[in-house]
Amino acid sequence: MTGATAAAVLGVGAVAGLDLVSVPQAMIGRPLVAGFLGGAVVGGPLAGLATGAVLELFAFETLPVGASRYPDWGPAAAAAGALAALRGGVWDPAWMAGIMVVALLAAWVGGLGLMTVRRLNAAQLRRREREVESGDARALAALQIGGIVRDLVRAAVLTGVTFAVGERVARHVALGWRAPRELADVAVLGTALGVALWSAYRLFGQGTARRFLAVGTVAGVALAAGLLAW
Amino acid sequence: MTRADGMPGFRSALARLFTIQAAFTYERMLGVGFAFAAEPMLRALDRSGGSPGGGPEAFRAALARQSHFFNAHPYLAALAVGAAARAETDGAPPERIERLRAALIGPLGSLGDRLIWAGWLPACAAVALLMVAFGARAWAVAVFLVLYNVVHVWLRVWGLRRGWRAGIGVAGALASPGLQRSLELVAPVAALLVGAALPALLGWYPFRERWEVPVAAAAAVLFAEAARLLQGRATGLVVATLTLAVVVGVGVLW
Repeated sequence: MTGATAAAVLGVGAVAGLDLVSVPQAMIGRPLVAGFLGGAVVGGPLAGLATGAVLELFAFETLPVGASRYPDWGPAAAAAGALAALRGGVWDPAWMAGIMVVALLAAWVGGLGLMTVRRLNAAQLRRREREVESGDARALAALQIGGIVRDLVRAAVLTGVTFAVGERVARHVALGWRAPRELADVAVLGTALGVALWSAYRLFGQGTARRFLAVGTVAGVALAAGLLAW
Repeated sequence: MTRADGMPGFRSALARLFTIQAAFTYERMLGVGFAFAAEPMLRALDRSGGSPGGGPEAFRAALARQSHFFNAHPYLAALAVGAAARAETDGAPPERIERLRAALIGPLGSLGDRLIWAGWLPACAAVALLMVAFGARAWAVAVFLVLYNVVHVWLRVWGLRRGWRAGIGVAGALASPGLQRSLELVAPVAALLVGAALPALLGWYPFRERWEVPVAAAAAVLFAEAARLLQGRATGLVVATLTLAVVVGVGVLW
């Protein structure tokens, strides 16, 4: 991987991380998007998309609600997408399982980092409290820019660390895997779908939506059967 | 300045709304971003010079007031920004403006959470996942971003305009039939799409052997049930991470 490619992965991860809270909340940081972009800059958009799609299932459980703590999927998915693309189009379940463990942990660390950024924002606000309380527009702009820069740095560092650690873990797991490869396949999609199923039940398991969820599930099973037959 | 039709600084305020959470703190939540977004509209106060209720002092006081604690869904906060800025430029008493901001926090948060986080976002994600299952590749990402952001951007534009038009009486905007109808529709539509997308992915995943499909489906159902039983003690994500870590350990130490 060239320096330019590594910088591009960092850039994608930074933008994806920034998107979650700071700007513009346009869902660039969703795993499906960030994973695809991360894979694309390494030359494997489809591997990135597949990784992002699996991470998107995990992401169903967490809603970015206000002050609550939630994982930051963007940098984790961008790094995971890039790592998946590094295999050059070869789908290795063990490699994928290694990436997933690191990406899930990175998403949680990203959420913790977000809390740190908020505390740093508060420290900057305390230093400029008098100006803000006197209605100084420049102080407000400085606080906004400070928040964006901190978040951007957080996301870029997280992407870099996730990529570096993920590459080592995935390589180690892929080389050392002795169990049937199918175990990794079943575990990755089984847990991802399980989290998404549980989340769907929590979101739509009451009232009218419940019936629609049931109808949708029946239709989805038929679609899956059709896809497998095709 | 014309009050009823012309909103001062609309484009600038709209652009700044996209950064409303940039300086998020636990003390003021969106407060700083709120004031930053409202500032182009409040400039009208600064420019009104010696007119009653206007001038630089009024502008600075209004800006300071708008930077106080505020929390809501980031998209629907546009409604509050527009309404508060209008109330300021109309010369409403400060305590009334603060009451208005406080009164909007709960409804805008709840509405946004139900409409977007628990409705529109899962619906768009499900559409994208269905497209992935059917081999749409990059189009799935493009459709997801366009579909989601049409509503996202529209909400910000609508909120800012509607808030400005309504001013202190903005509460009525929340009861608009269109918004209420959207709330009724979004959950069933999202439920249908999510319900269809999840099993469909079983037909897309690059399993090595056909028998893995029912095994993965059974594992997913068992996992969902485990997550339900562990509810309140651990999130599904924590359990999933631990499960995958154990599987990776088993796979290597086999």
